[in-house]
Amino acid sequence: MKNALAWLLWIWLSVVIVGAFKYAPLAKGFIGESSRILFFHVPMSWVSFVAFIAAGVWSLMFLFGGRKPKHDRAAAVAVQLGLVFGVLATVTGSLWARIMWGAYWNWDPRQTSIVVALLFYGAYLALRSSLEDADSRARLSAAYAVLGLAVAPFLFFIMPRIMFSLHPQSVINAQGKIEVESRMVQVLLAGSAGFTALFFWLHNLQCRIESLSERKSALRDRG
Amino acid sequence: MWPRISTWAAEATAVFAKEWRCELRTRYALNTLGLFAFTTLVVVSVSLGPLGVSLSQGTAVLPVLLWVILLFSVAAGLPRAFVQEEETQTAIALRLAATPSALFCGKLVYGLTLVLALEALITPVYVAVTSLKVVSPGLLAGTLIAGGYGLAAGSTLVAAIIAQARSKGTLFSVLAFPVLLPLLLLAVELSRSAVAGDPAGVALPQLLLYDASVTVVGLMLFPAVWNP
Amino acid sequence: MELGGNGWIVAVNLIIWTGLFLYLLRLGKRLRQSEASLEKEP
Repeated sequence: MKNALAWLLWIWLSVVIVGAFKYAPLAKGFIGESSRILFFHVPMSWVSFVAFIAAGVWSLMFLFGGRKPKHDRAAAVAVQLGLVFGVLATVTGSLWARIMWGAYWNWDPRQTSIVVALLFYGAYLALRSSLEDADSRARLSAAYAVLGLAVAPFLFFIMPRIMFSLHPQSVINAQGKIEVESRMVQVLLAGSAGFTALFFWLHNLQCRIESLSERKSALRDRG
Repeated sequence: MWPRISTWAAEATAVFAKEWRCELRTRYALNTLGLFAFTTLVVVSVSLGPLGVSLSQGTAVLPVLLWVILLFSVAAGLPRAFVQEEETQTAIALRLAATPSALFCGKLVYGLTLVLALEALITPVYVAVTSLKVVSPGLLAGTLIAGGYGLAAGSTLVAAIIAQARSKGTLFSVLAFPVLLPLLLLAVELSRSAVAGDPAGVALPQLLLYDASVTVVGLMLFPAVWNP
Repeated sequence: MELGGNGWIVAVNLIIWTGLFLYLLRLGKRLRQSEASLEKEP
């Protein structure tokens, strides 16, 4: 049953890959084929967003829902995966910016906010690694993640207001500068859904690996 | 209900008074904070050169430098409020003696007075040295108070978190700067409007909202951070 | 079969994705096995 879902995901993302290069048309106003990287960039940034929100929710559940170790583990793994997807989103966005705006990096509001998000969750992992006691590690890092959840909205509201942005409007509010064709929207949404499913699969595997290694080291200590 | 509130207030006041009594005994934070800020100010001022920056550049650059000086001074001095409790192992006694929220408020007000004293000391010197012309001083003062409160609130919570970790000094900057960055951006924007004489706009309510939400989240999280 | 400029990119992407997928599938299988063996032990 589990494998059937996995194979469905394999077919789904294969179709997305083919669709991104063969089915979707090129966007107007983009240089050459550069718009095709968006079919991977948008899902990556979406997944990192989902991962960070999920980490915050799991941290809240840990702090106010009975302090279960599984919630702490889930939050930590979500942050790790969110950082991986966030770095991929930054790199793909930066490659695209080189083609469209002429520079890999120019502190566009979106670039600034993702860098601050990466710094924040990098700090989260640094905090975890500097706490040895498992209980205080879970407790303090969960508090820090919730603090981030409270501060993040300010970053997203302030940035676009203070600075002028060249970044295309996101797909959901499609009344933006760049007209998004329906076939592009289909591939973008399918890609976002597929990569979100991939994220939860990876998350499940990594959580189980960490729980197994914890149980094994507990057994080794006992015996 | 009332007696509980009054004991809570008494606890918070006691924590605040205890902080200042300890502080005046050694004057560690005052000396470090003041000297750190003054040294950075001298470095900034010398680096700008004898002529300083032109008026048009000044409105853009000088508020940024002022807030950078304040941010780094806060990072140098404020974490001590909690680190010292863990190092001298007075934290356990404090855990027994005070309600977490009262303790948080006492420490927060102590940090706030420290930051405000620092700002009152540094800002006039900074304005004089860089010959910065402030069109609306009232807005600048308001920004310093609201921004100082945000700095104190954010750093108090982060200091409580890092006090229980290893490598406290570097960890504080790493953890606090991403949290304080929105505050810094808003404060810089407001200081720029104050210097140029522009109206405050939406940045002022946003800054107050930041202060309020960090306070609420701090009060909510602090019991979990403080009690093992 | 005609492969355009994009065709090669699609092919490489599909190979990488399939490789990652098979690795994850194998990882899941091994996890289930060691979880089952850990259940039996105590």
